[in-house]
Amino acid sequence: MQDRLHILEDLNMLYIRQMALSLEDTELQRKLDHEIRMREGACKLLAACSQREQALEATKSLLVCNSLMTRGQRSPCRGRVCISDLRIPLMWKDTEYFKNKGDLHRWAVFLLLQLGEHIQDTEMILVDRTLTDISFQNNVLFTEAGPDFELRLELYGACMEEEGALAGAPKRLATKLSSSLGRSSGRRVRASLESAGGLGSSPILLPTPAVGGPRYHLLAHTTLTLAAVQDGFRTHDLTLASHEENPAWLPLYGSVCCRLVAQPLCMTQPTANGTLRVQQAGELQDWARVHGVLKGTSLFCYRQPEDADTGEEPLFTIAINKETRVRAGELDQTVGRPFTLTISNRYGEDEVTHTLQTESRGALHSWMEALWQLFFDMSQWKQCCDEIMKIETPAPRKTPQVLAKQGSLYHEMAIEPLDDIAAVTDILAQREGARLETPPPWLAMFTEQPALPNPCSPASVAPAPARTHPMPWGRPRTFSLDAVPPDHSPGAPRSVAPLPQQRSPRSRGLFNKGPPRTWLQSPV
Amino acid sequence: MSYIPGQPVTAVVQRVEIHKLRQGENLILGFSIGGGIDQDPSQNPFSEDKTDKGIYVTRVSEGGPAEIAGLQIGDKIMQVNGWDMTMVTHDQARKRLTKRSEEVVRLLVTRQSLQKAVQRSMLS
Repeated sequence: MQDRLHILEDLNMLYIRQMALSLEDTELQRKLDHEIRMREGACKLLAACSQREQALEATKSLLVCNSLMTRGQRSPCRGRVCISDLRIPLMWKDTEYFKNKGDLHRWAVFLLLQLGEHIQDTEMILVDRTLTDISFQNNVLFTEAGPDFELRLELYGACMEEEGALAGAPKRLATKLSSSLGRSSGRRVRASLESAGGLGSSPILLPTPAVGGPRYHLLAHTTLTLAAVQDGFRTHDLTLASHEENPAWLPLYGSVCCRLVAQPLCMTQPTANGTLRVQQAGELQDWARVHGVLKGTSLFCYRQPEDADTGEEPLFTIAINKETRVRAGELDQTVGRPFTLTISNRYGEDEVTHTLQTESRGALHSWMEALWQLFFDMSQWKQCCDEIMKIETPAPRKTPQVLAKQGSLYHEMAIEPLDDIAAVTDILAQREGARLETPPPWLAMFTEQPALPNPCSPASVAPAPARTHPMPWGRPRTFSLDAVPPDHSPGAPRSVAPLPQQRSPRSRGLFNKGPPRTWLQSPV
Repeated sequence: MSYIPGQPVTAVVQRVEIHKLRQGENLILGFSIGGGIDQDPSQNPFSEDKTDKGIYVTRVSEGGPAEIAGLQIGDKIMQVNGWDMTMVTHDQARKRLTKRSEEVVRLLVTRQSLQKAVQRSMLS
């Protein structure tokens, strides 16, 4: 009986060794080789079998092992790959960005992402020189990726005609701009006007282009693989595909930032489950019956099968990671108990070993198979198996929108700041109607008179002058960002004053009045 | 944590992942920020270096999404969803945190207790 157990155990070791060889995991194999060498002597027992039935049993096991060994190459599990928070920095010449020379060139850009046979695109974004980065809000998810995936990223752009830029501006402003067009576009406008031949009316009317529709050009591309996957944000190089002569050329900085994560299925789905008997520490004869579930880097042992589904805490959890050692059969402690396996983990100086008994030979093979598949997947998916990387379900795609009109003074026009105060107040008057009885607070900058109390104390009440409109250039968006629930009672003081928050940074940008004197606090 | 302009910055950071809470029309995080390159850094009660113009957490709402995620008062926010927060204006910082299209923000924060803990463990 003892001999038979020895033989079966060694055959199991051989089996495991062969499987490790096929996994080409030399680390594991080294450990196993060591085990096998230790037990080499026992193999000779087969030859020394004097009892015929022993020999028969042993040979049968050997045959079974052989057939298992020749089963074929192991393949890694599939995974979900998600790329999000894509951002491509731009590099405008300072003459274009700060001095606002010439008319506003615009581009339409989008990204094409390809993994295997699956291609997805991002939303289309309109870019002009007021943007420092092209920022895509999309979460792009690929569900059938292998660890050897190649995610190809391509940026396409199309230049938009100038007429689009001018058509959106209010008429009075457009008149101002048309008289100060940049050199090359000015020439073009004049040429088109001359060719149109005295159409009269507005000088803004430009002929539509002969070719229908924009033409997209490939601007840049790159390929991302498993090495780029990380639970965090990284910057990768872009290969630039077009040059300055190309009509769609955009001044790209040459990088793309993004968050690229991967979730192998072995980390999120259970790969094995079944009844196990676990030897309690120190109690050689006391074995607890549990329901084991192998998922990700843990073997969860529940009191009963239902607990796994109801979200009950497991009785205990055994870690399974790259350093874990698994062996089938440990003779000394499992006298009279067949079909056992041991799992050992090293914690600093200590080694913790759990001994588990499965229900049958078939069950033992299944568990061993699942464990070896898991080890293989971990060796292929590498850092993706250290911890589960979170993937948010992609937000529903919004319909493509034009560069959103921010509704603020800054975004409505691009004029020299100190140029024409009359134009600014005109536009204000237009927006507010005739409602500016009191001068707007920023006007105080010109008159050197403090128009409002010091906005330094964030917890203080809103400024004294009672207004129907809390701010001169009405940015309703601010109110929605207050964490304090809106208090609709008429006379109640607001514990957060939106006006001082919005006013100071912007006014300082335009009129440098010395070092900042406030330390504002804003709720988010 | 003193900064020399132009020199790279090293810090021990903690990852904080905040899932915004929907309150009617708004998505809130449940904390307040102070600081910015357009603010007066000498008034920052939380910074070690009084010339540090970074963004600091000045208040954390009890039971709010930020507290649940592990954000603490006095934390300095280094990065939000890949965007740098060490050289931004107060308003830019607020905007980066309150994008309506983002339901989850991933912050990298640094706190003095973290730095000290790492230094202590490195010495022992």
